[in-house]
Amino acid sequence: MMQGYAELHCLSNFSFQRGASSARELFERAKQQGYQALAITDECTLAGIVRAWQAAKEVGLELIVGSEVRLENGPKLVLLVENLQGYQHLCRLITQARRRAEKGQYRLLREDFADPVPGLLVLWLAEEGDTPADGQWLCDTFNQQLWLAIELHCAQDDARRLAQRLQLAASLGLPTVACGDVHMHVRSRRALQDTMTAIRHHLPVAQAGERLHPNGERHLRSLEAIGALYPACLLEASLQIARRCTFDLGQLRYQYPRELVPQGQSAKSWLRALTEEGISQRWPEGASAKTLEQIDNELELISDLGYESYFLTVHDIVRFARSRSILCQGRGSAANSAVCFALGITEIDPSRMNMLFERFLSRERNEPPDIDVDFEHERREEVLQYVFQRYGRRRAALTAVVSSYHGAGAVRDVAKALGLPPDQVNALADCCGRWSDEAPPLERLREGGFDPDSPVLRRVLGLTQQLIGFPRHLSQHPGGFVICEQPLDTLVPVENAAMAERTIIQWDKDDLDAVGLLKVDILALGMLSAIRRCFDLLRRHRHRDLTLATVPSEDPATYAMISRADTIGVFQIESRAQMSMLPRLKPKTFYDLVIEVAIVRPGPIQGGMVHPYLRRRNKEEPETYPSPKLEAVLKRTLGIPLFQEQVMQIAIVAADYTPGEADQLRRSMAAWKRHGGLEPHRQRLRAGMLNNGYSEAFAAQVFEQIKGFGSYGFPESHAASFALLTYASCWLKCHEPAAFACALINSWPMGFYSPDQILQDARRHHLQIRPVDVTASDWDCSLEPIDGQQPAIRMGLRMISGFREDEGRRIEKARQGAGFRDIADLGERARLDSRAQELLADAGALRQLTGHRHQARWDVAGVEKQLGLFAGASSPQEEAVQLPAPSVGEDLYADYASVGTTLGPHPLALLRDQLHARRCRSSQELQAVEHGRNVSVAGLVTGRQRPGTASGVTFVTLEDEFGNINVVVWRDLAERQRQVLVNSRLLKVDGRWEAVGEVRHLIAGRLSDLTPLLAGISVRSRDFR
Amino acid sequence: MRWVCIVFPQLALDGVLRQRPEPEQPLALLAGPPQRRVLQTVNAAARALGLRPGQSLTAAHALTKAFACVEYDPVEIDRCQQLLAAWAYGFSSQVSVFYPRALLFEIESSLGLFGPWPLLEARLREELTDLGFRHRIVAAPNPAAARVLANAYDSLAVADAEGLQQALGPMPIDRVGIDPQAATALSRMGLRTLAQVQALPRHTLARRFDAGLLRHLDALTGQRPLALDFYQPPDRFDLRIELNFDVQSHQALLFPLRRLTGDLAAFLCGRDSGVQRFALHLEHCDAPDSVITVGLLSAEREPSMLFELARGRLEQVLVAAPVHALRLLAEDLPVFVPQRQDLFDERPQQTLPWAQLRERLRARLGDEAVQGLRFHADHRPECAWLPGSDSRVCPPLSPVQRPGWLLNEPTLLAEQGVQILLGPERIESGWWDGADIRRDYYLVRTRAGQQGWAYRTVGDSAGLWLQGWFA
Repeated sequence: MMQGYAELHCLSNFSFQRGASSARELFERAKQQGYQALAITDECTLAGIVRAWQAAKEVGLELIVGSEVRLENGPKLVLLVENLQGYQHLCRLITQARRRAEKGQYRLLREDFADPVPGLLVLWLAEEGDTPADGQWLCDTFNQQLWLAIELHCAQDDARRLAQRLQLAASLGLPTVACGDVHMHVRSRRALQDTMTAIRHHLPVAQAGERLHPNGERHLRSLEAIGALYPACLLEASLQIARRCTFDLGQLRYQYPRELVPQGQSAKSWLRALTEEGISQRWPEGASAKTLEQIDNELELISDLGYESYFLTVHDIVRFARSRSILCQGRGSAANSAVCFALGITEIDPSRMNMLFERFLSRERNEPPDIDVDFEHERREEVLQYVFQRYGRRRAALTAVVSSYHGAGAVRDVAKALGLPPDQVNALADCCGRWSDEAPPLERLREGGFDPDSPVLRRVLGLTQQLIGFPRHLSQHPGGFVICEQPLDTLVPVENAAMAERTIIQWDKDDLDAVGLLKVDILALGMLSAIRRCFDLLRRHRHRDLTLATVPSEDPATYAMISRADTIGVFQIESRAQMSMLPRLKPKTFYDLVIEVAIVRPGPIQGGMVHPYLRRRNKEEPETYPSPKLEAVLKRTLGIPLFQEQVMQIAIVAADYTPGEADQLRRSMAAWKRHGGLEPHRQRLRAGMLNNGYSEAFAAQVFEQIKGFGSYGFPESHAASFALLTYASCWLKCHEPAAFACALINSWPMGFYSPDQILQDARRHHLQIRPVDVTASDWDCSLEPIDGQQPAIRMGLRMISGFREDEGRRIEKARQGAGFRDIADLGERARLDSRAQELLADAGALRQLTGHRHQARWDVAGVEKQLGLFAGASSPQEEAVQLPAPSVGEDLYADYASVGTTLGPHPLALLRDQLHARRCRSSQELQAVEHGRNVSVAGLVTGRQRPGTASGVTFVTLEDEFGNINVVVWRDLAERQRQVLVNSRLLKVDGRWEAVGEVRHLIAGRLSDLTPLLAGISVRSRDFR
Repeated sequence: MRWVCIVFPQLALDGVLRQRPEPEQPLALLAGPPQRRVLQTVNAAARALGLRPGQSLTAAHALTKAFACVEYDPVEIDRCQQLLAAWAYGFSSQVSVFYPRALLFEIESSLGLFGPWPLLEARLREELTDLGFRHRIVAAPNPAAARVLANAYDSLAVADAEGLQQALGPMPIDRVGIDPQAATALSRMGLRTLAQVQALPRHTLARRFDAGLLRHLDALTGQRPLALDFYQPPDRFDLRIELNFDVQSHQALLFPLRRLTGDLAAFLCGRDSGVQRFALHLEHCDAPDSVITVGLLSAEREPSMLFELARGRLEQVLVAAPVHALRLLAEDLPVFVPQRQDLFDERPQQTLPWAQLRERLRARLGDEAVQGLRFHADHRPECAWLPGSDSRVCPPLSPVQRPGWLLNEPTLLAEQGVQILLGPERIESGWWDGADIRRDYYLVRTRAGQQGWAYRTVGDSAGLWLQGWFA
């Protein structure tokens, strides 16, 4: 009769580059082999423990939580968690060890065990190097909790080793136990395990030598094999230990921080108090009865689910941001609630967003509330540091993101480990799509000149396949905070992030959900910086005091501008794809904007939802609904599911999913490309729909849409929050274009367009732009009033490439006293070195003090030598030197080189005669050309985009002195004329003009490179993404 | 004085192309770290495909895969320049490689020998073309001007100061060898040609620019000489001793041989190098030389050792015809790394130092018969040792028992009477090179009492294979 066994030392693939099997694989195999329990003991980490816990539950095999650790200069141990107390000790130990080392490393010291660690069982993995003193220390430190683990892997001296260890244990009076040091679930992972070892040591496998395990015994061996190796008592000991370890992750209890609630209040009463205070601010004349009822309902629901503290936490962070005048905006399912509006977490007035309220938290779904808050991108750090300060590092940390192997990364690491030369490694990686989760397809490999049937490549591909999806390292979530009442390290270990002053917990977002921890997302958004700056400018120059909530709503002029696709610089709807959609969609209400934001996304595009929606909107196709029930779900989007929430609703309404199951479906949707796993849902949906009387075709169509949505489905709740910023930025662009452009440039880098493009757009809107000038420019771009008109934009010193902010600020300050007499005066008072002065001269910023650029540069060079010893002494007279004045072309060149834009003629204006001679029309002339005509155009290439969704189409944006021309290059032309397409800066396109309604573009037929005409004008272009 | 400058516009590329059978095929030289390879230079055919220097290899591959890549190797370029300098040394004793990718040499004194300049120029061009190097040639009154003019002209010969100014004046400021920073500054002041700069008052320039600018302007006009280091032909050892009479016995050759090796050793000492390989030419009256090549495992220069080695090799050769001269040619002269010796060397007189013994064995038994043994970390026994020399210290071996004598091929062991002492030790490794093994190893004792090392393939109960013997 075979004896039972529990494996107490087993690594999953969360021991990065060591464990060669996932927890799921390990549990399934251990169950098959008849193990009684399985410990997951990843090296000084619990990053994989939630996944292991889920796998254990699904497989039905007991999980023992543990960790393998090596003491610094000391023995190697396995720590096993017996109970909750032990778990807390383990978290603390790992946190200590990780926090005192660099990211990815740990240092566990003997001192860490100075206090007893009840609840932890310790297995000593004795090694040749361990001294008797080590043994004695272990016995003294852990006494009754210590075992000597014996691991046999068919080495030469197994018998001797066993005898020796037994003797050692006997001499110290220690119990012994059998362990497997498992690195993989089956022996056939040996190659992958060797490869990972090689990757870890940055060596080719062939040179990894003794670092590799000599054989594949470190897998979950059959009970027969184990029984043959170890004496029965050692196996029995494993079972005894397993029986003692009763801890389950489900015992963890998360508590919200309590300090947000003042003495004498409960979380519930305090949230109500704050909400009521907010109501009186939001609705000074009193809120409508409907709104009040809504708020009551929401508060009741929040209270039932016990989420008051969550809202209080978010409110506290938002309140801090507001106190520092940091603009912010919440989004997410819970954010678009009346309570959040009252609390100031979102600026979406319920009166304009009626429709969203019903999709707030749901009692049945029991999903945690989800609020992401965007902050100004340049000031988010202040908010992060506030959170760390307010709750302390022990109670607040960022969430981790588990970075997993994608196709390219996996094939790169594997190929390197198999010793392929760097060029081939790169070429192989190129054969993978950028984010593909598959090994490179065979035909791509052949195209790339590889022979996929060669033994080496077969090995590479096989291993790559296995490695894809494996976790690679932990990195920090951009802004997901976990905040906790008790110290965090009693729940989960905390470690250092790559950035200084950041700490992360070892779990990622999905893990948190599984264990019931809540996180608050503190994210950065450039547009918020721009809008805040714009509000500031309006207050200072235009006597207008606006906030996100008070930007006049539903303004027809703004919607008219949007429908013209006159949206350069605004939020979200500024890309080529968005701009081509705007004239077709013609948004007229806020909700149209919500749709616009969500519709130009890979999800709806790949799900084939865009065109049906447009046809219905333009009344070219009737709105139909498969059933009245679904009409309720889909009415607002004319019967076409556009949002993630709608897909879930369809599953609930049409296929009898429970809300909880629908949430599962959402998760599967996000992950199916990586893990598959949609098939059960397909069957379930189909069966459910057929059962409810829907057609087979409809069921198939819905499923296809879900698949297309994949991980790209956009939730309506996020779209709504984005749409608010879109609307606000559009309104500002429409009514305060000068301030808006100014604010955009001052917030750069952000968004889609360069300052040059923004300024050109501004000039096309008849705004006055004034050049950089030390006698007038600040560091930032500023506004200079003009009577009765939009103010002029004065370009700031920040636009001078290479110029430093402190220098710019010094000029600003020095000028406040009195104007500058001459260059020497400027240099001295603003303490500018020669480099800074030369930059100013090249930028033309000294024109008021000396003259043209050449003269300025000459004078600056003459002044510089006076600094220091003779500073302040007037420069000795020297004969005046006549320098040639820059030509128009030279100025143009210098403008682009220095400030990245020109206020002189556009380069194409200078070339217009030559272009006319080549029969090229300008973008202005194009407007009069009728649909379908063949034309030639030329322009600077300012954008080349090949969206992943557009099946090989490249969108090229050409710019000339009048505006932009959109060019569509089909795949075959792009391939035939690839060089011209990729390399041209000035491009001539012969093609067919398409002008249907507001949609205008040129279908390219032939490309010619006219770059030589530019003779040196540098124009930056966004390249293929 | 007259100076010639030859600029090699694509020295690196030509250095590679001249060795290729089809130089007209697209080719790119690559540089940069492995993770970001960049095209350093491309030939015309590659350029026609849209490849450009400075492009990343990834970007280039996006355009086309149809081109060959060769590593850009500064050492190789250096060698090309040395080769060209040696070639130019045939025309002038004052050759300078002061400027990269260019040769500079004084020609006035050579014109007597090689004819008037046009004739010499034609000859230079012809020989360079034969060598496979593209070039531009300019002659000017001073070296700095010759170099600068070669940037813009080819086949220009300037005789006097007036002609020189005419040629130099209109040249763009960034092409006249001025420090790039100063050149940029000048062009930002609107000064685009050398003449414009030369026209400015000197003190205004002195006030604004580093003294190097004026120095360079003066060097261009010849008012200030350029300090040049001249090229020295490389060292090599080539010594010949003519015998007074024809010899056919080894014995009679030993004396001159000792002289030659002794002189070689002295020479090596002088330049602080050793010799790794040298050739002994036995010159016969009416037959081609017999050449004996002597190779060493490491660079040496000890006279008696060199002699011993040469003698060992010589004695193996059957001298076919009478020898009338002996010549020693050594070109492989690496830096000598001396062996540390104790101050009080206690070795008895008769014993040979290890290095000498090793070389003597090699000389007597043949190069293949005496091999170094290199440890290679690999779990597979047959891969754990490799022949080869490796002077690095062997890392400590793992404490497992391995036989001192490994058989070339495992042999099947008759199992009767074989006693298993230890095992099994399982070794599963080597999948990466297609020679994966899965074996259980045993320490065995044969009936004769020998201790052997034998294995059985996992899952194959058939045979016990003997792979080695313990001492």
